[in-house]
Amino acid sequence: MSTETTDPTEEFRENQSWLFDTTAGVYLRKTLVGLVTAGAGLFVLFPLYWLVVTAFKTTAEIQQIPPTIVPQNWSLQGFSVVIESSIQAGGYQVFFENTLGVTITSAIDINVLQLVFNSLKVSVGAGLIAVAFGTVASYVLSRRDFRGKNVLMSLFLASLMFPGTAIMVPEWELINMLDLYNTHVALVLIYGAMTAPFVVWLMKGFFDDFPGSIIDAARMDQCSPYETFRYVVVPMARNSLIASFIFAFLLAWNELVFALTLLGNAKYTVPPGLLTFVQGFNTQWNVVAAASILVSVPVLLGLAYIQRYFVQGLTGGAIKG
Amino acid sequence: MSYESNAHSPYERAIQRVPEGLRVYLAVLPVTALVGLFILYPIARAIYTSFFERSLLHPDQSTFIGMGNYANIWSSAQIHQVIVNTVLWVVVGSGIAIVIGFVLGWLLYEKLPYVSVASAIVLIPWVLPRVVGASIWQFMFSGSQGIINELLVQLGVVDDYVVMLGDPSLSLWPAIVGMIWRLAPLFALLTLTSFQGIDEHLYEAARMDGATPWEAFRYITLPLMRYNLAIGFLLMLIYNIRNFSMVWVMTKGGPGYSSTTLPVMIYRSAFVDFNIGFASALSVMLFVVLLVFSYYYIKVYDRVQGEF
Repeated sequence: MSTETTDPTEEFRENQSWLFDTTAGVYLRKTLVGLVTAGAGLFVLFPLYWLVVTAFKTTAEIQQIPPTIVPQNWSLQGFSVVIESSIQAGGYQVFFENTLGVTITSAIDINVLQLVFNSLKVSVGAGLIAVAFGTVASYVLSRRDFRGKNVLMSLFLASLMFPGTAIMVPEWELINMLDLYNTHVALVLIYGAMTAPFVVWLMKGFFDDFPGSIIDAARMDQCSPYETFRYVVVPMARNSLIASFIFAFLLAWNELVFALTLLGNAKYTVPPGLLTFVQGFNTQWNVVAAASILVSVPVLLGLAYIQRYFVQGLTGGAIKG
Repeated sequence: MSYESNAHSPYERAIQRVPEGLRVYLAVLPVTALVGLFILYPIARAIYTSFFERSLLHPDQSTFIGMGNYANIWSSAQIHQVIVNTVLWVVVGSGIAIVIGFVLGWLLYEKLPYVSVASAIVLIPWVLPRVVGASIWQFMFSGSQGIINELLVQLGVVDDYVVMLGDPSLSLWPAIVGMIWRLAPLFALLTLTSFQGIDEHLYEAARMDGATPWEAFRYITLPLMRYNLAIGFLLMLIYNIRNFSMVWVMTKGGPGYSSTTLPVMIYRSAFVDFNIGFASALSVMLFVVLLVFSYYYIKVYDRVQGEF
């Protein structure tokens, strides 16, 4: 029998530490990894779990000390208060009394459905502006070289860093100057401006990888540059365009600072409205949690779609997933 | 027949009349105008307003006071507290978020099954509306019904429920914890993507050459992920220093100024104290910091991507 080893990984094994070689070491390592996984998982997931179970507790159970980890009786009380409050604030009580014979009274007047509707209006508007303007620009930025291109791209990248708190005061002055205070148009334009650079970077990444031979083929078939863009490139870019739109939509949906400073109560979108809700109901956290879950649904649906593009969009295409 | 003369619609023929060299600018004009008006102009405007005394209640009356607002910042009693809070907020918050995020990203890559489902779940804290995330933490930290107080009592850390959000010496920390919860997932996903981008063969080669797992990590993983981690790090800093909602929802910057960070201070000066000039001067301070971060971001970006 030969004493020579033929196993090429022999050398590799010699270099291992006891942590990988001995049974005790392996168990220690596995335990450590398990503990870290559990800790990190708990930190991320527990608040989400807490949000969900809180929404299904009764108000009485919320006020119990110590808090219950699993609801004693699952209740929809929180959700029904949110709906009742919306019906009362929207002025639909009479309708419900006449047609269904139900009398609805609520302690607080916040129309969550109206908030959702306002937010939808603003977010869809901002998303459309950002995608329309951003896509056209990014196509040209990707395919042509011209003077000032690098400056422009750097400017777009830098303008991603500023919005929000840093410019809320001058933005307020600007919107007053334009006579747009307390209008949703103001938010559509601002959110459009905030997200268009994201779209430029995301779509430019897509167009940079777009096969030139397809564009050449379209040209051979007598397509004008516009027709090439409209009938060849845009349909093929559909997935990226949808992802860009959702990016812009989510940013607009979640933005608090401008919505809080540029709108009055009656025009509030979801984030400032929810803030009023938290302050109005903060002894009834089940109601707050129920409202939070209702307004988070669009976000979770959107996340499912953009997950693949997430890193690329977030870093302005610096890191591609 | 030349390609350029393939105009098939009146709209295109109108574009054709624009000189060739200017046509590209036509395409970038809308987005540039939008960004210019709503983002770049306000930046310039804030610098301008920071030299005037102006009240939110009478925005049309303003007096030029030169560096007066900056002098007021310097002599203000609260600003030292605000600066200390902001530095703590950014350094501690980003630091811990990066460590937890990196570990999470590594776990996602190496240890957890169903990567795409798991990473979607991990991302939820980041994509939830900020007010929602902040109010969950406000509830968990609350003095009378908070689960965290209960946990601390059970563990024997404190004897009785503590009103952390109302205690000037503690009020900043719950918000920092909430912010870490929101930012760590972001860094985790960047880490995961970076891990996925590394060629498996490199590890195989290193193993053949007798590298220990630690050496492989130190000499392959880290150098290859360097720029991605730098980008993640800068994003953490930028998102962190800009953040307003976490503090505002949980404590409104109080009690007093004990949990006020720079963005919250800007909001309070402008929309609570109505002093736009002072708030603009504070905004300029925030610009300077953001400008430095953006400069490095663009520099790292150039390294990663080469040419735009």
